[in-house]
Amino acid sequence: MINAEEKKDKIDSLVRACGVLLRMNKARPDGRKSERLYYEMLANYYTRLQSARDEGKFIAAHTVFFPTEILYAMDIVPMHTETTTWMISLFTGECADLLSAGADLGLAPEICTPHRGLAGAFAIGALPRPDVMLWSNLICDNTAKSGELLMEVNHCPGFFLDHPFQHSEDEKKYLVGELDSMIRFLEEQSGHKMDWDRLAEIVGLIDKQIELFREICELRKAVPSPFHTQGFLELLTIDYLFPGQPEAINYLETLRAELAEKVSSGQGAVSNERFRLMSFFIPPMYLMGFLERISQEYGAVSVTEPFFTYWGEGRLDPSRPLESVAEKSYMIPEMRMYGPLDDRALKSIVSCAEQYKVDGAIYYADVGCRHSCATVKLFKDTLNKIDVPMLTLDCDVVDPTITSEEEMREKLEQFFELLEDR
Amino acid sequence: MLERFREVNNTFPKTSEILEHKGKSGLVFGWLCTYVPDEIIHAAGALPIRITGHRQETELEDGSAYLYVNNCSFSRSCLQMGLRGEYDFLDGVVGGSTCDGARRLFDLWRHYIGTQFHHVLTVPRKYTPEAHTLYYRQVVQFKEHLEEFLGIQITDEKLRQSIELYNESRALLKNLYELRKLDNPLITGAETMEVLDASFRMPKELFNLCLNDLLRDLSNSTQTHQGKARLMVTGSVLTNPDFIKSIEDQGALVVTDELCTSTRYWSDPVVLDGDTPPLQAISQRYLNNFPCARMFPSDERFNRILELARDFRVDGVISQIIRYCVPYAHDLPLLTRRLQAQGIPTLAIDVEYGTSGSGQIQTRVQAFLEMLKVKQR
Ligand code: SF4
Ligand code: SF4
Repeated sequence: MINAEEKKDKIDSLVRACGVLLRMNKARPDGRKSERLYYEMLANYYTRLQSARDEGKFIAAHTVFFPTEILYAMDIVPMHTETTTWMISLFTGECADLLSAGADLGLAPEICTPHRGLAGAFAIGALPRPDVMLWSNLICDNTAKSGELLMEVNHCPGFFLDHPFQHSEDEKKYLVGELDSMIRFLEEQSGHKMDWDRLAEIVGLIDKQIELFREICELRKAVPSPFHTQGFLELLTIDYLFPGQPEAINYLETLRAELAEKVSSGQGAVSNERFRLMSFFIPPMYLMGFLERISQEYGAVSVTEPFFTYWGEGRLDPSRPLESVAEKSYMIPEMRMYGPLDDRALKSIVSCAEQYKVDGAIYYADVGCRHSCATVKLFKDTLNKIDVPMLTLDCDVVDPTITSEEEMREKLEQFFELLEDR
Repeated sequence: MLERFREVNNTFPKTSEILEHKGKSGLVFGWLCTYVPDEIIHAAGALPIRITGHRQETELEDGSAYLYVNNCSFSRSCLQMGLRGEYDFLDGVVGGSTCDGARRLFDLWRHYIGTQFHHVLTVPRKYTPEAHTLYYRQVVQFKEHLEEFLGIQITDEKLRQSIELYNESRALLKNLYELRKLDNPLITGAETMEVLDASFRMPKELFNLCLNDLLRDLSNSTQTHQGKARLMVTGSVLTNPDFIKSIEDQGALVVTDELCTSTRYWSDPVVLDGDTPPLQAISQRYLNNFPCARMFPSDERFNRILELARDFRVDGVISQIIRYCVPYAHDLPLLTRRLQAQGIPTLAIDVEYGTSGSGQIQTRVQAFLEMLKVKQR
C-alpha cells in the first residue's frame, strides 16, 4: 500500500518519466524525431498540470473522448483521467494499489480496471484534486457512471455531457445544446470566459489534424507498412490530449514526413514484413515492449485499427465552432462502436481489411470491457467471411495479473503459425 | 388466482395467449427496456411483450459465445433464448439506448436473429427540457416507423385507449402494493413477483381482469404474512420469484422492490389531461418515470428509493447486482451511503440472472437478518 507520507499525487513522477523517455530517445541513434516530439508533448502536458496544481490554477478532470478543445479555448488546464491513471500505473508500478483503492470505494471487480483504477487514484490522492469533474457517456456505461462517485470523492462539482446514441439532426442539436450548457457551467465555475475566436482557431487545427490522421493512415497501406505496431497508441493519445494544438500538428507533420520517406524507400516498420494485422481494442499497456519485440521477431505489424485510427468522413467548419465540436465527436473512429452497431460499422471493417491487405486480426478482449467484447464474435464472423482469421486475446489494459507475457507469446505464436500455413 | 399468473410465467414465451394471438394472425412485438413505450405497440394493434431470459439460472453457452462472458447474464440469457428460436414468433424487437448490455443485445439480435422489424430509441440520460424534446421526437419517430411497417395509422384515439388500459393496470398494481404496506401484508414478495412477471407477458386486457380477481380474493382473505424483517430488493433486472422466496424462507418479508421488472415498470401513470397530445403525455411519463441507474443525476433515483423505504417501512435493503451490470454496480457505493445515513442497512449480493438464491446467498441473507435483529433490539 502507498504509505501516508507518500500521499502527494504522482504528477511529478510522470514528468520525470517523460524526461527519461525523452533522454532515451535522444540517446538512440535511430530515435524517431516524431517520437521525441511526442514525449516532449507529454512532458509539457504534465508539467502544465504540475504547475497548475502548484499555482492553484483551475483544473478540469475529464474522461475519455471528451471535447478537450473546449477546455483549451477557455484556458482551463485539462487532466485526462484514464490516460493519466494508465501512465501512473505504468511508470510507478502501483496498479494493484490503485485497483484496491477503487475496490475500497465499493466498486465491484466487474467495473473495468481503467475506471476502478482512476477512482482509486483519486481516492488515494495519486491524481491531483480537480476543480471540476467532466464526463460523458462515450463510450460505455463505465464512463457514463463514473462521474458522480468521482465528484463525491473529490468534493467538487461536475458536469455530465449527455451524448446522444444515434445521428439524427435532433440528436446533433441536442449535443450542441449540451456543449453550450457545459460551457456556461465552466464559465461559472472557473470565472474564465469562452474565447470563441480561439475555439474557431482550434477547430481549424482539428480539421487539419484529422486530415493528417487520414494521410498517415493512407501511408500505412503501403507494403511493407511503415509505422510500428503500437504506433497507433501515439495517434490515439494525440487526439485524447492535444486536439487542435499546434504541437500536435507539428508532431503529425513530422510523422507523416518520416512515414512517407520510409514508404518511398520501401522500408517497413519491421525488417521482414510477413503478417499484416488489424487490431481491435487496446493491448495490455504493461506488455508494450514485449508486443513490439514479438512484432519484430515474427514480422507481424498492425496496419489498421478501424475503431481507433480510421476517422469518419467530413470536414469541420471554424465559422461554426460549437457545431463543429459536435460534428467531430461523430467522426471519432470509435464512434462506429457507439450507437446501433449496424452494417455500416461491419462494412468499414471489411473495407479496412481489404484496403490494408490484412492477413489476420487480433482482438484484445479486455475482461472488464463489456461493450467491446460483445462484438468479438460479430467481428470474427464478419472477417471470416472474407477469409481473415481473428485471434482473441483475453487480457486487461492495465492489470498485469490477468495475462502473462508467456501466455500471450504462446497464443500469438500459434496464430502466426496458422497464418503461415495458409 | 395466482395460479393463472404462474401458468403464464411457467409457459412463457410460448404461452397459450401468445400462440392464440398469433393463430389469429395477430402481431407480437418484443421490447427490451422500460424506456420503450409499449402503449404505442398496443395502440398499433399488436401484442407487446417484454423479452426476458431463461426462467432459472442456466448454462449460457450460446449467449456467452455471442455476447462474451463479460456481459450481464440477463442479456446473454435473452440472446440465447432468441438464438434458440424461443422468440421465433416475434414480428418486431424494440430497444432503447439504455445500457451496454441492452444495446449489444439489440445489436446481436438484429444481426443474428431474423426478426423482421427493429427499432431502437435514443433515450437521453437527463431530464432537461431539451432531453424531453429529444425523447419526444424519438417517440414520434418510433410511432411513425411502426405505422410505416404496419401500413396503418395510430390515431390519438387509439393511443388514448391504450393509455387508459395501461394506467388501469398501473393503478391495480399500486393497489396490490398497498397490501404490502400493511403491518401484516396480504401477499408475499415472491407471490407479487409472479404477478409482476405476468404483467408484461400477458395481453393487458386479460391481465387487468385477472389482477382484479386477485385483488378481490386477497381482500376477502384472512391469510396474512409476517416476517422478522421488512425488506426491499433493489438492483438489476430480476424475474425469478424463487429468489425472493429464498429470502422469505428465512423468515423475512420482501415488502417492496425497486427493479425495472417491478415498481419501475408500473409506478407512474401517463397523465392524460385535456390538452396534452397523447404522444406527448407518453413521452413525459417515460422519461420522468422512476429512473433506471443509467439516468443522471442519480439522486433522482436514490430519493425515490428512500421514499419507498419510508412508505413501506423497510428495515433493510438487499441490492442484488447481476455480475457485469455496470450501471447498478457503479451506483452501489453511492446508494449504500445514502441508505446508511437514514439508518437503513444494505446487503449487496452478486448474482447471475435467474438465480433462485444459492446456499451462499442464503447464508449471507441469514447473517444480514441476524444483524437487523440485533439492531432492532
Ligand atoms: S475499458 Fe471499456 S468499459 Fe472501460 S472505460 Fe474503456 S471502453 Fe469503457
Ligand atoms: S441494466 Fe444491468 S442487467 Fe440490465 S441489461 Fe443493463 S447491464 Fe444487463
